[in-house]
Formats: sequence, structure tokens, C-alpha cells
Amino acid sequence: MDAVWVLFSQKVLSQILVGLSRTTILFIVSSGMSLILGVLRIPNVAHGSLYMIGAFLAYSISRLFGGGSQGFWMALLLAPLGVAILSLIAERALFQHLYKREHLMLLLLTFALSLIFGDLTKLVWGAEYKSVPVPQVFQGFVTVFAGLPLPLYNLFLLAVGPVVAVLLWLFVNKTKIGKISRAAAVDREMVSAVGINVSLVFAAVFVVGCLLAGLGGVLVAPTVSVTLGMDHTLIMETFLIVIMGGLGNIWGALIGALIFGLSQSLGIMIWPQFGIIFPYLAVVIVLMIKPTGLLKSTW
Amino acid sequence: MKKSFLIVLGFLFLLGVGFMPATSHAAKTLKVGIVDTYTGPATAFTLDVLDGFKLAAEKINAKGGVLGRKIEYLTRDDKFKPDIGLNMAKELVMKEEVDVLMGTINSATALAISDFAKAEKVPFFVTFSKSDRINMQKGHRYVFMMSEHSEMAGRAAAEALAKKPYTKYWIAGDDYEYGHSIANGVWKHLQQLNPKVKLVGETWWKVGEADFTPYITQILAAKPDFVIVATGGSGMVNFQKAAKATGFSEKVPFYQHTAIEASTLAPQGKNAPVGVFGTANYLFYYPNSPENRAYVDEFKKAYNRYPKVGSLYGYMTANFIAEGFKKAGSFDKEKFIDAVEGMAIAGPTGKIAIRPCDHQLELPMYFGVTKVDPQYDFLVGGDIQVVPAKDYMPTCEEVKASRK
Repeated sequence: MDAVWVLFSQKVLSQILVGLSRTTILFIVSSGMSLILGVLRIPNVAHGSLYMIGAFLAYSISRLFGGGSQGFWMALLLAPLGVAILSLIAERALFQHLYKREHLMLLLLTFALSLIFGDLTKLVWGAEYKSVPVPQVFQGFVTVFAGLPLPLYNLFLLAVGPVVAVLLWLFVNKTKIGKISRAAAVDREMVSAVGINVSLVFAAVFVVGCLLAGLGGVLVAPTVSVTLGMDHTLIMETFLIVIMGGLGNIWGALIGALIFGLSQSLGIMIWPQFGIIFPYLAVVIVLMIKPTGLLKSTW
Repeated sequence: MKKSFLIVLGFLFLLGVGFMPATSHAAKTLKVGIVDTYTGPATAFTLDVLDGFKLAAEKINAKGGVLGRKIEYLTRDDKFKPDIGLNMAKELVMKEEVDVLMGTINSATALAISDFAKAEKVPFFVTFSKSDRINMQKGHRYVFMMSEHSEMAGRAAAEALAKKPYTKYWIAGDDYEYGHSIANGVWKHLQQLNPKVKLVGETWWKVGEADFTPYITQILAAKPDFVIVATGGSGMVNFQKAAKATGFSEKVPFYQHTAIEASTLAPQGKNAPVGVFGTANYLFYYPNSPENRAYVDEFKKAYNRYPKVGSLYGYMTANFIAEGFKKAGSFDKEKFIDAVEGMAIAGPTGKIAIRPCDHQLELPMYFGVTKVDPQYDFLVGGDIQVVPAKDYMPTCEEVKASRK
């Protein structure tokens, strides 16, 4: 009986580890969305497109640097920056004129942008599937619990997650922009009334949020085929996570991503045939208990 | 102000009258209307169909066209939506008066257009949809199937897998019609051919799933002999990458329809997993015949890439349209259909006919396993066995029975 129990708990631990590595990417992307949602009040549907562009950029950059390990590290460095520049252009050219409009207008604009980005991606990169190889050091897997494999790359993702979380915490709590943005999230008029250039702060926050989307895209690229439409599934999950965690609360995004990633991987273990329903079931349960999300919403 | 406006109007009118006869006297063409998905992930397959079609059409036109008419094609993007696709098909038939319709990668769109084609008596060539209902249950005189359908893919794989020693099977796949019908096709026929097989479990994930690792660890824990992986589209590559990263591909052999096809293997370069079983209707390196080599060269010259399976569907469709009208001797649609039924045309993979009872193109299926080939910078299929069309097509009796 004991042996069975040990084996079972090892299997659970192994699934948790696997689930956590998925959580990392979900957290990175949805924290960016939540940041923008909280401070700028933009429900950014184009966030998924930026994630997709991040992945495509990762493909091009890794090819440019020979497609090997070096290519991946350069992509990790440069692709999010590329996405950040793109988002800066979008913010300065479009969004900054529209902050005063109602949410529906902004939603429409970001939806339009997601369509434009989708077609632009097809124009630039074509329709074929692309693939970014896993860097040499992370090829292969380790056997963790109960003899079940964990790819080394997932281990790397497990390490990246906390790093990004800490950096984000530092940005929001220790930098001036972060502090102003938190104040702006609560009361925009007051912040500009004390003489702070809110427009620039907004631009900075928007760029940071989009950079996170791009980073998520780069990190996911080695594990999947980089393809048109990869934004669609992600944007749904991201919105659910952000809603579950509390609109605009980046720590809520962390908790939401954890619930989403873990309920998925454990759900698959409990009932492989219907594993897909568990994360959505979790969303329903959370929203039934706390309709405003788990943590305090800034809205 | 008003006067000058009238003068301009009159001028424009004259211009219009002057040009009108010119357009109506333009040379008549053989018009082919193509409705397909040209936005989103499906374009990875549909552009190949279009390019294969264009290649053949240009060759036919260079030789003087069909009965003195050039082939002209009009494309419409259905955005993967059946309602849009149907409207596009209507527009092509009503307004553009196309002689033939072709296209669609979405089975629901194909079925909708097929109904319309039947009512309008316009021949419709289905080029990438995989539902067997198109030419089985819902089949009729005006619809032609230029690709294999999921029932056929399943039977072909079962034919090959039944000869293997595996007994404990696991089924995993994309949770949508294509995934389930491929899996059912394989499993149903495998059970008939090898009664010893048993199913130890199933896993289904949502279409577009990005991370297969949690699923794979679960399948590994159950220790099956063999896994039937029913993925489509980008899921093909995603699963192979995860199988490689987790070492799954070295521990448990698995089968995916189109696993050995270039659309799955080329993007992964040298990093694709070795030893994956797959089936495909077309491989640019097999058969290594002069016809296939010539086709690959032509295609590469025109588009600077290797032709994939879709290009064969498009290429054969253009040739059947041209030869059909030539044999009919006129542009009468009924005579065209009579001509095409049972007609065989030599293509890159040999002489292939369209079966009269269900209008199915009798494509051979290639079963193989992924391997490294120093000739290419990506993996290819090795140990290829050819499953002839007659071995894996449903019989005409089965087709008839399904339509009752």
C-alpha cells in the first residue's frame, strides 16, 4: 500500500513540475496584459499577436545567428526588444490619442490591431510552419519522480519564471515609473494634477507589458511550431487568467496562471480523456466563489 | 458648375460605351473558381494546393489551353468559415460564371459548397478537406475528392500497423472531428485486422495545445506498446517536438498521419524525432521516378521550395479539369463529369484514376518511418511501403450503403 502511495505522490509531483513550467509562460504573458489593463485600462486583444510576433522574431533572429544555441540566446535578448519597439510605435501613433475614449473603442482598436498584426506576420514570414530548435544545453531530459521525464528546457523555464516575477516586482515597487503607474492605476486625474507627465509613464508601462508578451513568445518558441494562429488559443487563456486573478493585478495573474497550469497538468493525470476541461472548470469555480477575481482588482 | 458636371458625365458615358464592346469580346476562358482558406494557420497547406494548380495551369495554357480556351482561375478567401465559403462559391458561380469550383481545407465548408454545387450542377473538386462524408454519405454526381479522407488514412495505417507486433495501444489526439475520425479509422480497422490489439487508454487535448509534456508523461506512466497520435495542422509539429524533448519518441513508438510528410518534418530541421511512423499521399523523394523528379524540379524552380502533399492535389485537379473538358469535346458540365469518371491521368506519382462510384482520386498511400538522410537538412520518411488505393479505399458497396 505504501509503495503504491509513494508512486502516486511521485507522479503527482512530476505532473506539478510539468504544470509549473507551462505556468511560467502563461504568467509572463498574462502579467504583461494585466499590467496594461490595470494602468492603461486597455483590454489588449493584440497582446496575443505580440506574443506570436515575439515567437516569429525569435525564429528569424535564431536563424540569423546560425540557428544554434547562440541564436537562441540572441533571440531571447533581441526579440522582446523588437516587440517593445513595435508596441512603442503603436502606443505613440494610436493609443495615446485614445486613452480618454471608452473601453469598447479601445477594445475595437486592439482587435483591429490583432488582425493587422496577423496579416503582417503572414506577409513577412509566410504561411509555412517555423521551428526554433531547443538550445544545445537544454536538449534532452532528466528523470525526476517515478521515472517520468522532465525536459531540460522545462527546467530552464522553471528557473525563468521566478526571475521575471522578481524583476516585475522591482519594476512596480522600486522604480519611479512603477510607483507612478501604481498611483495612476488608482487615480489617473490626481496623478496628472500633481504635475506628472502621465502620457510618458503610460507609454513606458505599455511597452513593458508588450515586452513581456514578446518574451513569452520567445520562451515558448522552442517547444512548439511557430505558426499563424498561435495567438488565438493563448489570448483566450490569458484573458481567463487575468479575470480569475483580478483585473489589472499582476500578482493575480501569477495566481491565475498557477491555477490554470496546475489544474491542467493534474487534470490530465486524473482523467486523461477529458483533461482539457479542468482549467476551465477551475475558472468557473473561482468566478463563482469570487466574481471579481481572487485578488483586488484595480478597476 | 452644373454644366461642367454634365459634360464630365457625358464624357464618362461615352467612354463607358466605347469600352463596353471590348470587354464582351474578350477571349473566352475556362474559368475555375477556387474557394479556400488564405488567412491563418491553414495557409501552410492551402498555398501548396494553389501553387500546384498554378504550375499545371500555366503549363496547359502554354500549350494552347483547353479546346482553344486558356484556364483562368479566381481565388476567394473563406477565412476558414463555412458561411463565407458558401457565399464565395455562390458569387463565383452566379456572378463570375465559373465552369468548375475547387478548394476548401475546411470540411464543413466543403460540405456546404458541395450541396450548392449539386443544386447548381457545377462540378466541385475538393482539394484538402478530410471528412469521409463529402463523398460517402453526402456524395453526389457533382463532387470530386482529390485528397484522401480520414477513413482512408485510417485504413491505410491499420493495414501497415496490423503487421507489427504491438498489442497494447493508446490513442491520443486533437479533440476535433479530424482527430477523432483519424483515430477511429485506424482503430476500427486495426481491430479487424489484428484481433489481439487492445486499447489501454485515451488522451484528448484541445486543438492548438501548446504544451504536450503533461500529456506525454501520463501516457508514459501507462506504458503502452504503441500510441496512435491523431493530430492535425500545427499539432503535428508540436507533438513531435514534445516527443523529442521528453525522450518519448525513443521509449514508445507512435504513429501520426502525415508524420513523414515534408510539411511536418521540414520546419524541424535535423531536430525532428527519429522512428516516428507516418503515412502520406505524396513525398517529393518517393517514388524516385523521372516523373516525380521532373515535377519536383519544376516546382522548386517556380516557388523555391519542395512540393508538399497539397501541391499534388492542386496539380492533379488542374490536369483532370483540362483533360476532362478535352475528352468531353465541349464545355458542357454534364459531358465533363461523364468524361472524368474513370479517367486516369499520369502525374508525378504515376497514373491515377478517379473512381466512378464515389469520385475518389485513387492515390496510393506511402507508409514509412522518420529517419535522417544526409541528402537533406531535415528528416525524411524511410522504409516506405506503398499501400495501393484499392487496399484502403472503402468499397463501392460500402459507399452505396453509406448513402442510404
